[in-house]
Amino acid sequence: MDNNKSKGRVLVAMSGGVDSSVAAALLVEQGYEVIGVTMQVWDYSQCNIEEGTGTCCSSEDVDDARDVADRLNIPFYVLNCEDEFKEKVIDPFVNSYMSGKTPLPCVNCNTYLKFDHLIKKMHELSCDYLATGHYATLQKNDKDQWGIVTSHDSWKDQTYFLFTLDPELIPKLLFPVGEMTKSQVRDYAEQNNLTVARKKDSVGICFVDKAGYGEFIKDNYNHLTAKKGLMRRYPDGEVLREHQGIHYFTYGQRKGLGISAECPLYVLKVDPETYDVWVGEEQHLYSEEMIIDDCHWLEEIQGGEDYQVKIRYSHQGAMAQIERLDNGQLKVRFAQKQRAVTPGQAAVFYKENRLLGGGWIR
Amino acid sequence: MTQGNIYLDFNATTPVHAQVQARLLEWVSFWGNPSSIHRDGRHPKKLLRESRRTLAQALNCHPLELVFTSCGSEANNLAIKGCLSALKEKNSLRNRVLLGAIEHPSVLKQEKELRLQGFEVIKIPVNREGQYNLDFFKKHLDDKVGLVSVMLANNEVGVIAPVHEMVQMTHQAGGYFHSDLVQALGKMPFALKELDVDLASFSSHKVYALKGAGLLYSKKGTPLNSILQGGAQERGRRAGTENLLAIASFAHMVQHFQEHPLGSSLASLRDHMEKQIENKVSGVQFLCRKQERLPNTSSFFISGVSGESLLMNLDIRGFSVGTGAACSSGNPEPSPVLLAMGLSHAEAQSSLRVSLGASTTSEQIDLFVNNLSEVVTHLRELDKVEMSYGQ
Repeated sequence: MDNNKSKGRVLVAMSGGVDSSVAAALLVEQGYEVIGVTMQVWDYSQCNIEEGTGTCCSSEDVDDARDVADRLNIPFYVLNCEDEFKEKVIDPFVNSYMSGKTPLPCVNCNTYLKFDHLIKKMHELSCDYLATGHYATLQKNDKDQWGIVTSHDSWKDQTYFLFTLDPELIPKLLFPVGEMTKSQVRDYAEQNNLTVARKKDSVGICFVDKAGYGEFIKDNYNHLTAKKGLMRRYPDGEVLREHQGIHYFTYGQRKGLGISAECPLYVLKVDPETYDVWVGEEQHLYSEEMIIDDCHWLEEIQGGEDYQVKIRYSHQGAMAQIERLDNGQLKVRFAQKQRAVTPGQAAVFYKENRLLGGGWIR
Repeated sequence: MTQGNIYLDFNATTPVHAQVQARLLEWVSFWGNPSSIHRDGRHPKKLLRESRRTLAQALNCHPLELVFTSCGSEANNLAIKGCLSALKEKNSLRNRVLLGAIEHPSVLKQEKELRLQGFEVIKIPVNREGQYNLDFFKKHLDDKVGLVSVMLANNEVGVIAPVHEMVQMTHQAGGYFHSDLVQALGKMPFALKELDVDLASFSSHKVYALKGAGLLYSKKGTPLNSILQGGAQERGRRAGTENLLAIASFAHMVQHFQEHPLGSSLASLRDHMEKQIENKVSGVQFLCRKQERLPNTSSFFISGVSGESLLMNLDIRGFSVGTGAACSSGNPEPSPVLLAMGLSHAEAQSSLRVSLGASTTSEQIDLFVNNLSEVVTHLRELDKVEMSYGQ
C-alpha cells in the first residue's frame, strides 16, 4: 500500500444523497485516498417506497452512490447492515411508539450504524479517518480538546443527531460539508457533474413510506397492534370515540384524530397501559420543565448554569437551566414555556454553538 | 494503492479471449437477422449454423440437439420448466422433481414456482464435503420421479458430483436427468454420451467468449416445451432473435479448448496456492479439498475473519476474488451453497472463493498469498484490540 502520496485514507459513508456525495468529492480533491461505502439497511423490495430500476440487489440510492463513486474513480462497497438496522433502529423505534412515545430513530442509526459500525470498517480497511456528509464542524476548544460545533448552515445543522458520539472518536472524523451551506453544496455538485446535484433532500424517516408510521408498524409488527382503545378529552375524561390502536397517535398530533370539536384538539398523552389516547386544547401542550434520562456528554456541563437546548430537530432552541438529579436524570427548566415537549425525542444542549451532549425526553 | 489488478475470480466470468477480440468485427458485419429469407439473412444464418455445428462436434452431439438461449440461467430454466411442462402433458403422475441442494440459484429458485404448479420438489442433501447422500436419492427415486437436476461441477466449491451414476439410477426409475455443466465446460473433460444426461446447460462467458449466449443440450426424444412465446427460432424451442455475436464467440472458444485444454497446469497452481496459504495463514479450512473437484477452484474459510472484510481489503490491494455467487456481492448474505453443506453462518460468512484461469501465473499466486496473509493478520489484530477493550 502506498499512503505516502495522500493525506491519509478515508472511509466515507455515502448514502446516495448530495451531501455525502459532495463530501466524497471534496476529500478526493483535497488529496485523500477515499473509499466509499453505503450501508444497505432495509430490504426495500418489501415496501412501497419509490424505487428506480436498480440492478440486482440495490435500491436507487445505492445506484446513485455507486454513480458518484465511479465518477470519482474510488472503490465503493455496499455493506449489508439489515440485521443490525432492524435490531438497533427499527425494533426500538416500534417499541418506543408502542410505549406511547415519539421516537427518533435517526439518533440510533447515527450512533450504532454510521459511527460504531463504520468505525470498525474504518479500522478493517486501514483507514485513518471516517467521513460523513453531516452538517457539523469540528473545532478545538480553549483546552485544546476537539469538539463538535454547529454547521455554518444553521438551517441544515445536524449536530442534534450527534449527541451520542463517543468523544474519543472525534479526532478520527471528517465532516467535509460542515463549513458549507446547502446551496454551496448543490452548486459544487453541479459544477463537478455529480448526478445527484438536484436530488431532493431526504425528509422524515427513511424506512417509512407515504402511508405513515402507523401503517408501517401495522404491516411489520402486526402482533403488537391488534388492540383498540378509547380517545378521551383532557381534563374531564369524556370518551370521544374508539380508536384503532395507539400506534396511529403521537404527542402534539392534530390531524387525523377523527373527531370534530369547537376548537382544535391535540394529542396530549398516549397511555400504553390502558390504550387511552388523551386529547385536549393547545394550551395543555406547553411545559415549563422536562425530565431527561440516558444522558451522553461530549463536554462537561455544570448544574445551575444556563444552556441552550433543542427539544426536536427543527426546534430553534430555548434557554434553560439544568439540575442533575440523584438517579442520573436531568431536570431542565425552560426560561420560557415550550410547546410540545415530546417524550421519546432528544433534548440536546449547546453552549455558544458547541455541542455539549444530551439525553432523551421522558 | 494497488499492485495492478490480479483477477482470481474466473468462476464468476472470464476475460474475452484475444482470438475472439480479433474476430469481433468480422462477426459484427453479419448484422442481418438469421431468420430472414432475403440475402441479408444468409450470412448470419450460415454463421449460426456453423456455430451450432462446431459446438455439436465439440460436445459430440447432433446440432439439432442444441438450443441457444441468452445465458446459462435461461438454459437452466428452459431445461427444468420446459421439460416438466412437456412431461406433465404426457404423464401427469410423474410430478416429482429432485434438485441438488447446492445447485446454482437459477435452479434452486425455481422451487417455489414448481410447487405452485403442483410439482413435488425434493432437495438431495450433501454432506460437509459436498458429497451427495445417494441413499436418500435412491429412496426418493420411484415411478413418481419426472426430472432430476444435479450440476456436474459446483460453481462455489468446485466439487464434482457422480452424475453418471445418478443418471443411471434416474433412468432405471424412468425419470429424465438435467445437469448444469456451466462450470465444467472448459475446465474438465467430460463426454455428454458417457454422462448420458438428457439435458445439459452451458454458458458462453465462462469460457472466455462474450456474455450473452447460453446453450441447452436436449437429447433427441427428451420432452421439452418452449418457455418463451414468440417466433419459431431454435425449432420452436426458444423464441427470440439469436445473439449471433456471442454465439459465434462461444463456438470459437469451445473448439479452442477442445484443442487446447486448460486442466492440469491449473490444478498444480491451485494446489501450490493452497499449500502456501496453509503455511502462512492459521485457522484456514479448505472446502472439498479431499474430493474430486475443478482444477481451478479453491474455496476456504478463515476462522474469525469476515469474508466481506477480506474481499474489500483484497480489492483495495488489487486482487479480485469471490465470496458466494457473483450476484450476491452487492448484498453479502451467507452463501446458500455453503449453508446447505452444513457450514455455520459464521463459517459461511468468512469464506472466500479463489478461481484461477488461463492467464494466472505463479507470481500472481505468490503475491496474492502474501497479501492475503497480511490482511488476515491486520484483521485479527483489530479483533484482539476490540476484545481487550471489551474486558
